[in-house]
Amino acid sequence: MWVYEKKLLYPVEVTTCNPMLAKYLMEQYGGADGELAAALRYMNQRYTVPDKVIGVLTDISTEEFSHLEMLATMIYKLTKDATPEQLEKAGLGAHFVNHGHSLFYENAGGVPFTATYIQSKGDPIADLYEDIAAEEKARATYQWLIDISDDPGVSDALRFLRERENIHSLRFRESVEILKEERDRKKIF
Amino acid sequence: MSPQEEEWQLLKKVQQADFVVVELTLYIDTHPNDMEAIQQWREAIKEAAKVRRQYESRFGPLSLLSVPSAQAIEVGWHWNSTPWPWQR
Repeated sequence: MWVYEKKLLYPVEVTTCNPMLAKYLMEQYGGADGELAAALRYMNQRYTVPDKVIGVLTDISTEEFSHLEMLATMIYKLTKDATPEQLEKAGLGAHFVNHGHSLFYENAGGVPFTATYIQSKGDPIADLYEDIAAEEKARATYQWLIDISDDPGVSDALRFLRERENIHSLRFRESVEILKEERDRKKIF
Repeated sequence: MSPQEEEWQLLKKVQQADFVVVELTLYIDTHPNDMEAIQQWREAIKEAAKVRRQYESRFGPLSLLSVPSAQAIEVGWHWNSTPWPWQR
């Protein structure tokens, strides 16, 4: 089970209404390499991986949900006061007529989220390599978002998230080594 | 400092202390024999619990796990009150 914590993993402070930046952030909200994809991917893989890496998948998946909440907070704050005209100017006219001011799991191009973004192979090495790639792609996306962001508060939160992807990638790479060691030990005895 | 600002500062302390626990837990997941890290984790848990008590005794529960605590009872039922995290 999970228990909700009434706080963000890291504080998000947004400077001004900025629907254009919100649109770009949707890439990490409902995009292929975004937080929803990451959280769902690991949470689903964990049931069939060796015991030694269940903790890593569970804990990182849980943290990804807290990243998803940070992204949602940024998008919400950047768009809540925007007029339909401002949204349209930012390329969110189509989003507005379908969703109003609400959020939706879609990427920066407006393509809705799909489970085809993620995989579960039933092979722990294959799954973990996909997870490492996912973290590196998310890190790269955060870098492009930082490069394009014109809101210092958002940039600060994005830098935190970029760093977390680095740590997650590292923990997954260590998990691969743990499994390889275990496999080699089995061969010797 | 206004009560609102005080609440925000204390919440930031909770976020800080909890993050140390998140980070050390993840590290120990892949370094289960690192005794120094485990000792740091123990200290971090204690610190996080302390800061959380400080916050919740004044501003209400941060999670439903806090509800049965004496602190939460003292401040009353504040769960369904604003601000939610995205409203700050």
